[in-house]
Amino acid sequence: MKPFPKLRPTAWDGLVVLCVAALAIVLALFQWRTGPSQGLTAVVSVDGTEVDRFSPEALREGPRTYTGGGYTLEVALSIDYEHPASSALPPSGQTGLCVAASDCPTQDCVHTGTITRSGQSIVCLPARIIVRLEGGEPDVEGVDAVLG
Amino acid sequence: MKLTTKQLTLCALLTAMALALSYLENLFPLSLAVPVPGVKLGLANIVTVFALYALGPGEALLILLARCFLGALFAGNMNALIFSLLGGLSALGTMALLSRRRGLSVYGVSTGGAAAHNCGQIAAAVWTLGSTAPLYYLPVLLAVSLLTGGLTGLASACLFQGLRSTNLMKG
Amino acid sequence: MKRFTAYVFLLALLLTGCGGPADPDTAQESIQVLAMDTAMLITTYGERSPAAAYACEDVIRGLEAKLSRTLADSEVSRLNAAGGEPMEIGWDAYSLLERAAAYSSSTGGAFDITVAPVVSAWGFTEDSFRVPSQAELDRLLPLVDSSQVSVTPSLDSNGDGPKAMVTLGPGQAIDLGGLAKGYAADNILEVLQEYDVPRANISLGGNVLAYGDRPDGTPWRVGIQDPARVGEQNAFAGVLALTDSFAVTSGGYQRYFEQDGKTYHHIIDPATGYPADSGLTSVTVVAGLGEGDGSGFPGTMCDAYSTALFIMGEERALAFWRDETMWGEEGCPFDLVLVTEDGRVVVTEGLADRFTLDEGSGYSLETVSRNGQ
Repeated sequence: MKPFPKLRPTAWDGLVVLCVAALAIVLALFQWRTGPSQGLTAVVSVDGTEVDRFSPEALREGPRTYTGGGYTLEVALSIDYEHPASSALPPSGQTGLCVAASDCPTQDCVHTGTITRSGQSIVCLPARIIVRLEGGEPDVEGVDAVLG
Repeated sequence: MKLTTKQLTLCALLTAMALALSYLENLFPLSLAVPVPGVKLGLANIVTVFALYALGPGEALLILLARCFLGALFAGNMNALIFSLLGGLSALGTMALLSRRRGLSVYGVSTGGAAAHNCGQIAAAVWTLGSTAPLYYLPVLLAVSLLTGGLTGLASACLFQGLRSTNLMKG
Repeated sequence: MKRFTAYVFLLALLLTGCGGPADPDTAQESIQVLAMDTAMLITTYGERSPAAAYACEDVIRGLEAKLSRTLADSEVSRLNAAGGEPMEIGWDAYSLLERAAAYSSSTGGAFDITVAPVVSAWGFTEDSFRVPSQAELDRLLPLVDSSQVSVTPSLDSNGDGPKAMVTLGPGQAIDLGGLAKGYAADNILEVLQEYDVPRANISLGGNVLAYGDRPDGTPWRVGIQDPARVGEQNAFAGVLALTDSFAVTSGGYQRYFEQDGKTYHHIIDPATGYPADSGLTSVTVVAGLGEGDGSGFPGTMCDAYSTALFIMGEERALAFWRDETMWGEEGCPFDLVLVTEDGRVVVTEGLADRFTLDEGSGYSLETVSRNGQ
């Protein structure tokens, strides 16, 4: 009932392989052109549970708010916000996140300032909220841990 | 679609094999290269390739659905269902189309299927995570699909070679 | 047949190529834990990295449940609420009380867990900051006295490990917060060894355990926060290159509040009852893994000494570093990075070639040796 399939690779197979490879290369080039920051993902967790995952660019549409432990945090792009530690603004062309406002008592999350690189995070202990940047290019020159 | 006893038995057998292959996939820590939860290699596509040729697209679809639902049930993870369904259906659809082309061998069909499988999985990741970040890993996964496609093609070719003399393929 | 063999060979090649045994350098697990009033980041490597990372979290949560001062039913909270009555405590609290007594005597009282009532008076325990009156401090300061804490090990433990009976003086309270994270690091070291973890990077809020080296074979890079640029990430006084080390930093910038234009930080001098004003802005203590079995408690020691030496100030801290006889019986060798208010970074000789000053910090670097300057 069925035609018996060809078992030896043919030139047409090569074409399929070339198509897939070409697609992979085109996509990779496209991503490379748009820069590594495209690969950065902000991951927000409340009390250990992931509640949101978005590209920092998505904040151009407006800040996002998260609630935990009775406190509310507003996460925004640093460039949209007049941060007290203005020297902490990211270098031009980079996307930086910060907690623009929080009603928590310690304000540590607001004081943390801007995060721009994979692996960095902003933590609000009273609200038990962690905003962490993931993905993107591994940071070779950066530090592995911070004392302080 | 009317199934003979022989075809039904073959379907059941293939479903069991597909489930075993899905389980085998867990031994390949793809998550090390592609940190997107839920994305898998798609070894069970060997069964889809075989079913497509030996039985037909309808039967292949039945086996695929049974494999996906049973697999998700066994794993107790309904989130994984979206991944395996989207991946498996894209692979099956692509392979059903490609297998109509007379010029293509099982290798070409499998490679196309593997690439479609990984695209489907990334689509599932984008959907469940609500983020376009997994797209970042698509080029890597497409490169991986060349390997898995070749592997599934090889496995299927060996399989058909071995079955050439039997009457299993004749209906 | 030849072709079949070739296929099998190719298949094996493909399988090992895309799967294969997990490379210990790439198998990695990173988890973030909110515990002990801080954010912790645990990164373990190796085939058993996920199990190891979660075992580390279990250790931290287990210790927090016993040692926290803010959880009402912890051993420490119940001891503080016991009102001077004897209380039974478990092995962890017992061994920490013993360590605390040793560090208290070796630092001449600069480290003291009984400073808790004074710290509470400043509101650092409940985040309700206030400046207590001198009269209030005068009333509380007599309670700051480790010698009033009596600890008796009870050997008739019924199978759950050694225990001890503790009695605090009337009105006294203890806070193991200055030791608990270091002790957790010591315990984590044992977990890492148990799980054959080849390398790990454990960051417990100001406490770092750099275990093994980085996957690329170079030492872990551990940045010391510049106390003068607190609002900035990646603003370091300098970077330490560490392998197999514990490192702990204490600084007045870590927790503070402002009132009437004055800044009050959380490191309270047990002698005065006021935030320590010693001319230092941060103290980093670095030690090796000791015997490697955690018996010397190098992590706990670093944690305690970083606080004590911050209170003691540059001169006394360096004298303490030079004089081995002051370290006590179980003291192990350590090195220091001191950041001073007048813009200097002082590094002891053991760290001289492992410390790189941050160009942008504007500090001047001084290295001190054991025998005089």
